[in-house]
Amino acid sequence: MEGQGKWLKFGFVGPALLILIGLNIFPLIYSILLSFTDAELIGGSFGFVGGRNYGRVFSAPRFAAALRTTGLFVLLAVGFELILGFGLALGLKERFRGKPLLLTLLLVPMMLPQAVMGLFWNLVLNGYYGVLNQILAFLGLGQPQWLTDPDLKFFSILMIDVWMWTPFMMLIGLAALNAIPTYIYEAAAIDRASRWIVFRRITLPMCGPLLGLAVLLRATDALKQFDLVMAVTGPNDPATQTLSALLYQVMFRDGSVGLGSAYAYVVLVLVIALASVFLRYMDRLQQKEGEVAG
Amino acid sequence: MKTAFSLLGVVLLLFGLSGCATEEPQESGEKSITIWWAQWAPADGLQELGKVFQKETGIEVVVHQIPWSSYQDQVFLNFGNNQTDFDIVVGDSQWIGRGATKRLFLDLTDWLPEAVDIGTIHPRALRYLCEYPGGSGRYFAAPCETDAVGFAYRKDWFEDAAEMAAFQEKYGRQLAVPETWAEFKEVAEFFTRPEEKVYGCALLTGRGYDSLTMGYQVLMWGWGGSWGDEEKHRVDGYANAEGPVQALQFMKDLMALAPPGGTNIDYGKSLDAFMSGSTAMSMNYFAFYPGIAAEMGDKAGFFKAPAHGQTRVTSLGGQGFSISTKVSSRQQELAKQFIAWFLQEKIQRQWVQKPAGFTANTSILSSAEFAGATAYNRPFAESMDLVRDFWNVPVYNELLSVAQRHLGEALDGRRSPKEALDALAAGHEQVFRRVFLLQ
Repeated sequence: MEGQGKWLKFGFVGPALLILIGLNIFPLIYSILLSFTDAELIGGSFGFVGGRNYGRVFSAPRFAAALRTTGLFVLLAVGFELILGFGLALGLKERFRGKPLLLTLLLVPMMLPQAVMGLFWNLVLNGYYGVLNQILAFLGLGQPQWLTDPDLKFFSILMIDVWMWTPFMMLIGLAALNAIPTYIYEAAAIDRASRWIVFRRITLPMCGPLLGLAVLLRATDALKQFDLVMAVTGPNDPATQTLSALLYQVMFRDGSVGLGSAYAYVVLVLVIALASVFLRYMDRLQQKEGEVAG
Repeated sequence: MKTAFSLLGVVLLLFGLSGCATEEPQESGEKSITIWWAQWAPADGLQELGKVFQKETGIEVVVHQIPWSSYQDQVFLNFGNNQTDFDIVVGDSQWIGRGATKRLFLDLTDWLPEAVDIGTIHPRALRYLCEYPGGSGRYFAAPCETDAVGFAYRKDWFEDAAEMAAFQEKYGRQLAVPETWAEFKEVAEFFTRPEEKVYGCALLTGRGYDSLTMGYQVLMWGWGGSWGDEEKHRVDGYANAEGPVQALQFMKDLMALAPPGGTNIDYGKSLDAFMSGSTAMSMNYFAFYPGIAAEMGDKAGFFKAPAHGQTRVTSLGGQGFSISTKVSSRQQELAKQFIAWFLQEKIQRQWVQKPAGFTANTSILSSAEFAGATAYNRPFAESMDLVRDFWNVPVYNELLSVAQRHLGEALDGRRSPKEALDALAAGHEQVFRRVFLLQ
């Protein structure tokens, strides 16, 4: 009976484990090996090249440029999304007529695939026939070249990302706000605390951990930004080339699987490093909150 | 419990059997060949001819079309498998070096001259679409769709009496199809009227795949430049010489006469700019012109690339049939049978009737019948004598990435043309050095 139970356990866990090993663990290990070779996309034999690929990654000016672009993108996108999303959450916290409909409408951008949104915004932002410039022309305003002006391309992608993901921050913000017990606000009201003090001392600290989690999720996601870059400018535009776009360019357009794997590992280490720093910060924040509550 | 394991076993067995069943469909069944090509009108024409071939031989031809944006990626990803899903790939001219040296394309050196009279293939099509290395007499492809970069223009605007008079008054000469790049600039300048939403020219400047490079090299060669020394693969002193710098500056100057967003116009956008009625002259591959002619009729005319001084060169386009080395010899024989059939002059005469079915057959290209059949046939046939191609070495894709990147920087004003071409030359030499081609 006990033996049968053991087999049963294996029967349940085994297939999932095999799939996990086959689809996650094996490629992860195999790509480490590939990153030390001169393997190419079209297959064939490949040789060991030591750390040459990593040397090429760190000496390539385009890697430094892509790192800068990605960093700036993460900082600005997540920053704007946090401020706008939490602002919206504060505005939509109270009950009012039509709130469910408004919330549903606000969540629509987040629910659509990024690639589709990229193509959609490509049409909206087209400098010649795009809807946005048509409206600007109607209002007698200038018509910037959103997708081709080298100084605007990056901000166009940023704008689309903010449009898509602000609702996510809003959703988390709303959840955090709703989780704050009302008696705390009532106590603050009795103490005649100003609205600013209530926001700074109660709302913000109590929403902190959840907002932090949202920032972590968005930051790791923004670090991998690819779909919008691909759909709006393509992966080889220096003005918008993020690390993932560069990785795609190297791996699939240049066909250098070895070098591409090295790029992938550098990106992976960066993401893990950033996530660990952030998680530690979150832990500390929660500890502090626990101490205050205690 | 036993029942559950038995069920699992049956399911696994079914999966296994279904895998076996899809492994080699052609071996046991009817004869069939699969051709992979990009998704566009000529592929439809090829499919139609494939049906004719099937009627004659009983061999089914399936033309599988893949969107341009992912065509190259999908083809080379598929080549990474032990067996390709296609028997024939209609590959870009630049792919041939990679296909030949990596042994992806079947060597047709002995077979091609037997299957078709090599003398009937336009020498430039043979050189750039079929042969690798250039001048070696070794063939890895047979011509399928031959193409070149040319221009479409608004014939109705050019023939408008008021426009002609205004142009005559302003420039002291007749408004006509530009023969030189200097004339081209004047005509573009004349038609640029942003207040009326009309612009002079749309050049190929797209950053997605290769359109900026294909557009730029028409001017670069015109100014007497080259991509580099084809034997030693030296680039510094060639790609960044005075001629190419001037050509890139000239191209950048033309951006002021292009529609909004003119610094990033790919093949589709160039077509849109022209067909929307906003642009007087539009650069593109001839393969796109049947669509314009069908839509705009006599309003549109076509001309070959202008000259700079005495030099007139244009970019080669089009693709050749290459047979995959990663299919069975039986499939390779069927593929050869189709290609030999396709290259017969009587079939080529049918091919040129298809939308953008441009041929490399010299007797058809030089015939009055072909030249007079459409408005774009004559400039196309003349352009075939002017074509050159980008590097077609195995690392062409890395060279293309570098070129697209730095040429784009020049058009965007991030670097001067000289700085951009210096960076391009350094980048190309770095690639050549890494693969031990730089001598």
